[in-house]
Amino acid sequence: MREIAIITGRELKSYFVSPIAYVFGGLFLIVLCYLTVTSMLVEGQTANLQSFFQLLPIVFLFFLPALTMRLWAEERKLGTLELLMTFPVSVRQLITGKFLASLIYLSLVMLLTIGVPLTVAAHGDLDWGPVACAYIASLLMAGAYISVGMFCSAVTRDQIIALLLALVLLLVLFLLGSPFVQENLQTLLPEVMVSALAAASPYQYFNSIARGVLDTRDLIFYLCFCGFFLHLNALVLQGRRMKG
Amino acid sequence: MTRLRNLPRPLAGPGLAAPAGVAGEAPNPAGPLSPDWRELRAVRDVSAGFTCGTSPGSRSPSPGRCSGPFVIKPHVPKAMIVVENLAKNYGLTQALKGISFEVKRGEVIGFLGPNGAGKSTTMKILTGYLLPTGGRASVDNLDVVDDSLAVRRRLGYLPESTPLYTEMLVEEYLRFAAEIRGVRGRDVRSSVSRVVDTCGLGGVTGKSILELSKGYRQRVGLAQAMVHNPDVLILDEPTSGLDPNQIVEVRSLIMRLGEQHTVILSTHYLQEVEASCSRIIIVTQGSIVANDTHENLVSGVPARSIRARIKGPADNVNNQLRELFAGKAVEQINRDGDYGHYKIECGAARDRSPEEALAELVHKNGWALAELTRDSATLEDVFRNLTLANTTEAGHA
Repeated sequence: MREIAIITGRELKSYFVSPIAYVFGGLFLIVLCYLTVTSMLVEGQTANLQSFFQLLPIVFLFFLPALTMRLWAEERKLGTLELLMTFPVSVRQLITGKFLASLIYLSLVMLLTIGVPLTVAAHGDLDWGPVACAYIASLLMAGAYISVGMFCSAVTRDQIIALLLALVLLLVLFLLGSPFVQENLQTLLPEVMVSALAAASPYQYFNSIARGVLDTRDLIFYLCFCGFFLHLNALVLQGRRMKG
Repeated sequence: MTRLRNLPRPLAGPGLAAPAGVAGEAPNPAGPLSPDWRELRAVRDVSAGFTCGTSPGSRSPSPGRCSGPFVIKPHVPKAMIVVENLAKNYGLTQALKGISFEVKRGEVIGFLGPNGAGKSTTMKILTGYLLPTGGRASVDNLDVVDDSLAVRRRLGYLPESTPLYTEMLVEEYLRFAAEIRGVRGRDVRSSVSRVVDTCGLGGVTGKSILELSKGYRQRVGLAQAMVHNPDVLILDEPTSGLDPNQIVEVRSLIMRLGEQHTVILSTHYLQEVEASCSRIIIVTQGSIVANDTHENLVSGVPARSIRARIKGPADNVNNQLRELFAGKAVEQINRDGDYGHYKIECGAARDRSPEEALAELVHKNGWALAELTRDSATLEDVFRNLTLANTTEAGHA
């Protein structure tokens, strides 16, 4: 636990001493709020944040790979990974530490979007329950994306490749969750496979939580999804110890 | 648990001065124990495998039978680092072909070898960064693969290129290094200020590592390696890229460290190991070709030049010598009267043939040989002899 906290602390600090935290946070908030305001704050709309939270998976898709691309690739390029892996810390602790740091940073950015629900609440009667639920859902979603991005960062020492790889992988996962792609896939693949592929998309589980329904099955999916990619990440790092 | 820091000292101390009934030793008839006698007994204890008063023949020491004032950990390692048949392949390349060596507590070992010889690979395996393909290695009796985390707690490591988190401040980085290596609470501050003093970082603690010169970065690298006061320090080329003044500073720092720590360092500067290492291991092409003290290594190898003082007609001697050692540098250093003083670079031949050939030439011409010596070998000769010999053999094959 102590080791994880130390790794997380250092990692989190490194976000804020480099411009990345501010550039990323700033751009993320501008894009998100701009899209939200233009589509949502219209006279006569119902007072909820549906359209705001529906935008999140797409905005995450483009922003989170940029946040995670440096996690391992940079350490490998600078050689600090060698030192990091000779500290008395297990690979799992390292991964957990870095994962938590990214998630905490993103939570802080998400905290800054609180202006959106506050604005809506000022102009109508907002039900805060579903809003809280949707915030939880967006963090779960972010966790899933971060675990994929982190895995992609571990397989290469080039940050740009890590970024592109994560982008493609997340896009595929995102598309698998969209009904349009599913319908098209059904003409090519048997129905069992299509529903299996669709079930792997974190997007599938986002909507129900974002609507305010907190189902344990959805929670379990996100935990398994993150666990799976973080485990792959550990395998990659361990494999590198073998290969040299 | 009592852990022995340095074998000879605690055993010679008052605690074990008179262990109960050590193998029927008679008390010193001269009366009070002389220091020499005590040490002698201590050495006997060591050779008996720490059985604490049991017969020297019993092989497995049992702690229960210890009756002395000290209870010694039964499996006290003979060596701090034991490497047995360690092998590492990178794909098809054999980086290490089964090397074995031991390092005792408090030794400073110099790891020499050409680039790509396997020095860094050995160090990376010892520090747990890489897994070996075959063989075993242990630090303080803990396996580097099975007890990797425990081994890493006992180690300080400075990788070859001194990788550091450049965005951090020096002090911040050292605190991080201390904490992650298990230094806790109030000790963090004192550990950091200790290494800041030892490594001469006093003026730069508030600076970002990015702003530091190469020399200072190297010191930060050394400081992070020793911030938790580890038993073993592994330093991969600690002086590469430093200017001569910095090299001298870092070298003296390492010598001071060697007083308390077991140190393995790799380097390309041969003077460095001559100055600071108690033992030298030369690696080439994944195998150890030498493992000895500096004096022993140098004495075992003929130097690459011989000197001769020959009495004879100058031109004739000159010509005939050049003819005999065709293709080698023959230099007349000076001449006084009839005597010519020559230096002949004849290569580090292991046999005595150049001397014999020269003596024969002198004899045949009826000159006189006043002096014939081989220059004393330097570590450079040893190094070239051992590392080049192998490559040329491989080249001919």
